[in-house]
Amino acid sequence: MNATQSLRQDVPEQGGRRPGGHGAAAPRPRPGADRDSAYWWEAVGEGRFLVQYCADCRTPRFPAREVCAVCLSLEWEWREGTGTGTVDGWTVTRRTFHPAFEAPYTVLRVALDDGPALYCWGCLVGADPDGLRRGRPVEAVFTDVGPDPADGGPTGGGAFTRVVDWRLRE
Amino acid sequence: MAGTGLSGAAALAGVGATPLSRDSGVSTTALACRAILAALDDAGLGVGDVDGIATHRVGDSSPPWVVGPALGITDPAWHLDQFGGGGVSHAVIGQAALAVAAGVADVVVCYRAINARSEFRMGGQGRAPAGAFDLQYQAPYGLLAPVQHYAVPARAHMQAYGTTHEHLGAIAVRQRAHAAANPRALKRDPITLDDYLASPWISEPFRLLDCCLETDGACALVATSAERARDLRRPPVDIAAAAWAGGHSTYSPPAPGGLGDDLTTSSAARLAPRLYAMAGLGPDDVDVAELYDCFTWTVVVQLEDYGFCRKGEGGPFAASEALGIGGELPVNTHGGFLSEGYVHGINHVAEAVGQLRGDAGPRQVDGAEVALSTGQPGHILAGTSALLLTAGR
Ligand SMILES: [Zn+2]
Repeated sequence: MNATQSLRQDVPEQGGRRPGGHGAAAPRPRPGADRDSAYWWEAVGEGRFLVQYCADCRTPRFPAREVCAVCLSLEWEWREGTGTGTVDGWTVTRRTFHPAFEAPYTVLRVALDDGPALYCWGCLVGADPDGLRRGRPVEAVFTDVGPDPADGGPTGGGAFTRVVDWRLRE
Repeated sequence: MAGTGLSGAAALAGVGATPLSRDSGVSTTALACRAILAALDDAGLGVGDVDGIATHRVGDSSPPWVVGPALGITDPAWHLDQFGGGGVSHAVIGQAALAVAAGVADVVVCYRAINARSEFRMGGQGRAPAGAFDLQYQAPYGLLAPVQHYAVPARAHMQAYGTTHEHLGAIAVRQRAHAAANPRALKRDPITLDDYLASPWISEPFRLLDCCLETDGACALVATSAERARDLRRPPVDIAAAAWAGGHSTYSPPAPGGLGDDLTTSSAARLAPRLYAMAGLGPDDVDVAELYDCFTWTVVVQLEDYGFCRKGEGGPFAASEALGIGGELPVNTHGGFLSEGYVHGINHVAEAVGQLRGDAGPRQVDGAEVALSTGQPGHILAGTSALLLTAGR
């Protein structure tokens, strides 16, 4: 299976709601992208899950930074990431902290398969969290959150209309 | 063993606080001034003696350049307005000790003033605090409140080491029992493990009774040289060590190949050896520990990372009688943030000073000579800070 193609497809609803998906009670907080990370979020908007690599020592890094923390090189490249990982931690939130996220919902910390010490976050979709374990394989899916009517605001990022969520992988 | 670095250079000579409440009805400027005046009075000093003023905040409180002039302190020789939450709560006092040790200031007032219930609820803003820019990777998923950020490592620790809900509950129950002997505490009615287990989920594995109390209030401490402290009104409490650690957090993932990608170990594990070495003391010397308890689990991870038990044994140790007032390591003798109230760290230092002065009344730890007081152990906004304090002679 071509991982990139798979990532471009929307995940079918399987009982689990899409927290903060398009049409939720309130706009989901947008990524407050900075000048290092904007390219990554733009790629997410195109349905691509990228990983930044040092062009000299080849160490992958996430989140985006200008400098390699291993060799201090300022040269880097973006590669298509695997879009897969394993659950490193999670919490099931059972009260509402923001109107876009109706409780309960599950947020995962995912250890990416692309290298050590690379962690990404996102909601668990398409499954309920019962029986979730560390080490459980997951894969990225993209959730369309629509344009932000506030187009910015305190978190900025009004231009970003997609975020990364995760579903269980067999 | 003699201390090194900052050890013994500075002391805490005064403690002051406002009452704690759910709605102070006054500004954070007013709270800060009240706590500072009380601390100066405790030390037998006046505002005219103050030449340094320091605080930390996350955009939620009155800064030194408002509070100082409000008290007529218009030309402090040293001041500090540090961005940050509980991770820097003890750093502020450590930095005041540095200023005193360097001769830049003689009398520094350190304060924290918050209306964390009535004006600025942590995580209740629907957005990241300014400056926490890596929250861009969490906020879009509804991960917004500290309780959620600490729930993730707590859950990981439970799976990795078998830490149980009952271990966490025992912490909440014991700290409430300690608070019953503390007239300042917001919550003094005893609770049982059944009460704990019946309290509603907030963000698993945390229930309501795992969480600190959103609190309005202020606390202040007076730092001066160890020498000058001996001429003041109250028994001096020496800063035997102050230490800092940077490190990973759930906000900002670790550098590739770097330390800190294990959720079950906190930044305190790297701070602790520096802290003990500076004081020339070790975990066995600590008579009483006030451990940052924004949530029950932070007590568990700090018991491990400050060397009171082995990694993974924090749950059973926390649930044992060892942490009671008469136990081998009394912890959070005032009830902590869970039951006394949440002044973001400085109220732990105030309690430690009270214990070392022998002022703690019915919750006094007999013969307390060495106290550990700690800031938030990392995981959020990274980094931590802590103090080892000793009863002055
Ligand atoms: Zn490199």
